[in-house]
Amino acid sequence: MTRQIELCLTLYALSAEYTTGRFTLEDCLKKAHEMGYTGIEMVASQMIPEYPHPSGEWMDTFILLMEKYKLTPVCYSAYIDMGTHSDRDLNENEIIQSTIDDMCYAKYMGFQLVRTQHAISPKIFKNMKPYAEKIGIKLAIEMHHPHNPEVPEWKEYLKIMKDSEGWLGVVPDFSIFAEHPHKLNIIQAVEDYGCRREKVDEIIKKHGSYIKKEMLLAGDYTEAEKKFIEDVYSTYGKAHFEWLDMVLPYTMYIHGKFWYLGEDEIDTTIPCDKLLPIIKKSGFTGFMASEYEGHHYNDKLDSCEQLQRWINMSNRILEKC
Amino acid sequence: MAQFQAYNKLLISQNEEILNYKVGEYTLGYVIHCQYPSYRGTYLSCIESMNVYVDGEEIPEEKIYFNLNGKQFLLKQFQDLYKEYWFILNKAKLLILVDGGLKQGSRHNIEIKMSHKIPYTGYFGSYLVLAGDDKKTLEVKGEVNTL
Repeated sequence: MTRQIELCLTLYALSAEYTTGRFTLEDCLKKAHEMGYTGIEMVASQMIPEYPHPSGEWMDTFILLMEKYKLTPVCYSAYIDMGTHSDRDLNENEIIQSTIDDMCYAKYMGFQLVRTQHAISPKIFKNMKPYAEKIGIKLAIEMHHPHNPEVPEWKEYLKIMKDSEGWLGVVPDFSIFAEHPHKLNIIQAVEDYGCRREKVDEIIKKHGSYIKKEMLLAGDYTEAEKKFIEDVYSTYGKAHFEWLDMVLPYTMYIHGKFWYLGEDEIDTTIPCDKLLPIIKKSGFTGFMASEYEGHHYNDKLDSCEQLQRWINMSNRILEKC
Repeated sequence: MAQFQAYNKLLISQNEEILNYKVGEYTLGYVIHCQYPSYRGTYLSCIESMNVYVDGEEIPEEKIYFNLNGKQFLLKQFQDLYKEYWFILNKAKLLILVDGGLKQGSRHNIEIKMSHKIPYTGYFGSYLVLAGDDKKTLEVKGEVNTL
């Protein structure tokens, strides 16, 4: 670590290039290195052909690629695919099995932590602490929208993390601080769903003025526009900066989520200008990922250009505070 | 609405176009390549339904053989395939049985309507189920002897 907050690339940010075959896994790693990232996150279910059980041969090749591009394997992103079965949710033994497996693979490949998900349940999460300690790998739950530290289950999780001697923690995702719809969301509403542009602008303006959703829904809007209203109100809202204070003591890694940055390199959706100084002042030491997610809305944008803008923005903010 | 939707255009693969499947002198049917429309793979048990339409006509499900991971499945079997992973870069081959296949060089409107569950989305109890629909016009461009 050369800096207090080191930038990491989640390869998920390059999903548009990767899923269309424009970038291979190695191309993604080469790009991460060229852009100056020192660490990477891998979404296992995206990159491992033999998922959920990578072969030794595949893992050995991955280790060589990390060395070749001088990258630190930071986060192995695992899932709790609760709905895998068509007729029931995963049971406790299945969740434990997949979590231990993921911790073993991640350790073999040299990752610092495994990112798991909220569905692990407080009971199982707590019981994973001895495994984390003995295997020597941290286990962290991602806190992603629509969750936040005030959700009852999360209060329990934060308590377990507090008592875990540093083995169990959280990965806050900036989606929980999203305030306003981003440009790609707006383009999609108009071009793909047929919402009228002036109505979309009106909805965003009213949402930004804290007009109640029910009042908007009673207005003169088409079905598509009403869906857009629901989408906006469920996804964006005033950022609760105090949530950051609640999670930072147990934060092992950060998902710097973003969907679109313009040429001015300012995020108008997520208030990074306020979030990053809070993180820096807290004394957090570790990796923060650039998590570009515009690919869910538009596969034509150049993800690398978006990432570069985000790097520039983050460096600018972090240098000033 | 919103998330995931830009991936739907991955579902029907344009690159491979349509290939007739020839066994000896007999053409059993034709093959269309499909990619799972998301950023990551999934278990086939999460595909809740799949309907295939060619030139506006729905193909009866018993005429569709779904090839993946060196195995072949009927669409009805998906619900039991919780250990069969559809890796995001592995294209499934849909063999559609039609006596004699399709005429070389002819173009066809292919539409697939797929309902799929995102298995990790039960934030407050219910899973996100998405419509992964795609439509493309493909050309019959050659033949294969193996799947």
